[in-house]
Amino acid sequence: MTSERTKGDRARRDHPGEDAPAPREPAGTRAARARIAAAFAEAGVTGLLHARDLDTGAELALGADTPVSTASVHKLCLLVTLYREAAAGRIDLTRPVDLPATGRTPGRTGLSAMLDAARLSLRDLAYLALAVSDNAAADVLWDEIGLDTVNRTMAELGLTRTIAVHTVRELFAALAEDTGQDSPVDPAVVARLRVLDPAFTNRSTAREMTALLAALWHGDACPGEPGAALRRLLGLQVWPHRLASGFPFDDVRVHGKTGTLPTLRHEVGVVEYPDGGRYALAVFTRAAATSITLPTADAAIGTAARLAVDALRLTSR
Amino acid sequence: MDLLGHLRHFRAVAEERHFGRAAERLRIAQPSLSQRIQRLERELGVTLFDRGPRGVALTPAGRLLLDEAEEVLESSARLLAVAADLRTGRAGTLRAAVPPDLGPAALAALLTGFESSSPGTRLDLRELPVAAAVRELAQHTVDVAVVRHPCPAAGLAFGPVLHQPLGVLLAADGPQADRPELAVAELTGRRLVLFPRATAPALYDEMLNTLARHGCTPEAVVDPPGPDVAGALVLTGSAVALVPRTVAPPGTVWRPLTGIPLTWRTSTAWPAGRDGPAVRLFAEAAHRALTEPGGLVPQLPNRPLFPRPAMEFPL
Repeated sequence: MTSERTKGDRARRDHPGEDAPAPREPAGTRAARARIAAAFAEAGVTGLLHARDLDTGAELALGADTPVSTASVHKLCLLVTLYREAAAGRIDLTRPVDLPATGRTPGRTGLSAMLDAARLSLRDLAYLALAVSDNAAADVLWDEIGLDTVNRTMAELGLTRTIAVHTVRELFAALAEDTGQDSPVDPAVVARLRVLDPAFTNRSTAREMTALLAALWHGDACPGEPGAALRRLLGLQVWPHRLASGFPFDDVRVHGKTGTLPTLRHEVGVVEYPDGGRYALAVFTRAAATSITLPTADAAIGTAARLAVDALRLTSR
Repeated sequence: MDLLGHLRHFRAVAEERHFGRAAERLRIAQPSLSQRIQRLERELGVTLFDRGPRGVALTPAGRLLLDEAEEVLESSARLLAVAADLRTGRAGTLRAAVPPDLGPAALAALLTGFESSSPGTRLDLRELPVAAAVRELAQHTVDVAVVRHPCPAAGLAFGPVLHQPLGVLLAADGPQADRPELAVAELTGRRLVLFPRATAPALYDEMLNTLARHGCTPEAVVDPPGPDVAGALVLTGSAVALVPRTVAPPGTVWRPLTGIPLTWRTSTAWPAGRDGPAVRLFAEAAHRALTEPGGLVPQLPNRPLFPRPAMEFPL
């Protein structure tokens, strides 16, 4: 364990965390961190955040090394692996897959919600998994790629704390087992859900997620055309309520992937300004309230992200 | 090697980011502090600090090990606290917390209930706002608490949730005071007094959301600066307050809301995995006391839940 961590840390050596007066964290970010913490508290959530200027390397961190249950954010790791395999010539993204009408992982979007058999290419399954967080499409890809390949790829990229231990259907089975016949919004039920515990489920940290996005944007994770294709998919995500809500600007481009479980609301993504500024963001939240519809908590992700981007832009541009 | 001592010094340097300042805080000479940190680095085989001219910064490895060190130091502090309790005969003490506004009847029933079910245990009971209770539960300075939801759940386990119905407090000579009960929608256009939002933002938002759900659009929601102002606003008839059943102050009346649309959810809470016999007896006594004399009601009929596509997980 120790040697694994040390190895990962070498890869991150020039990205010190919030505990140290990091040389690459610009002055003035302390005030921004306080504002971000206040925005989280104001929305009734606890939040973790990491923001990274993709060109200067400047950072802003708030609990960025704390492990979190990633939920559907882990689909990003899956897709980076798929497109990296394609870049290496080991997978043909246009290969069609037959998708029977039965046995699909449940969900309310994409193939999860569709009723009839279909035939889609790997890259169109990837589109569904990213654009609408289609659980059925994601599990077809998890079955194609395998947990081990995804974990090995993350380790190759220096992300040793980013680990998948189950597919979406296995995660849902654990969720259903812990909920039983009880109300999924009962606080006593939510408190016992194992899928909220990063030690039990798919996990990462805010810092590692922005490192993954940086590797994707810099062409290190998926070199060449597959990288461009995957960045395009991240820009096609339909949800407007989280990261994108913080950037209601026609000239700013938002890419992202959300993740949601009871009380957890996450999004990681990249925001691009027309002056060339590009910022990778990872925001993970946990709400006190157990309600399933909680727009204030969703919007806090956008608010926190914009405060972070503003702080980075103030000092680096 | 005295590992705990070395870890304490490691933590001090990490917090001060400076050997001189850390040495001053620890009241030891700076060279000897430097030697101890080097000794620890040799022992662990890892460089903990990048030493610069203006101070020191944790290496990434140092940062990870600092988390572990803090855990070790915290659990050793807990071990010493338990030992001290055993030594001084306080082992039989249960440290409990309750939130404000539970009502004296419920509290009295809780005290007598716990006393009769657990005669040997001394109860150290404090009244704490929920945020403080949650913090102390995490630090293990409170063993069990009665909390109000929404409540941050990380690291906690909860007993069954009870509902404390809210009603409306009005001026006795005001327009709606003669009604035995009021529908929430009938409060549309009135000024409402809640509690300062900052004290419980999640509960505050949930209450506004529930009002909207039941057709109530208040003219304004007043964050009272204190209970006296809240009382005065109600007394003058310029606002009504949403509060649990209470002995109405002179000049005011309390009326229930039709159909119990608004409740404060309450339950017991303890650190997950630490529900010893005394904690369980307290939780049961609290549940009984809140239900009977406290007037709290068990789980209301489950509302239907209609998840939206953005929810990402099935129910």
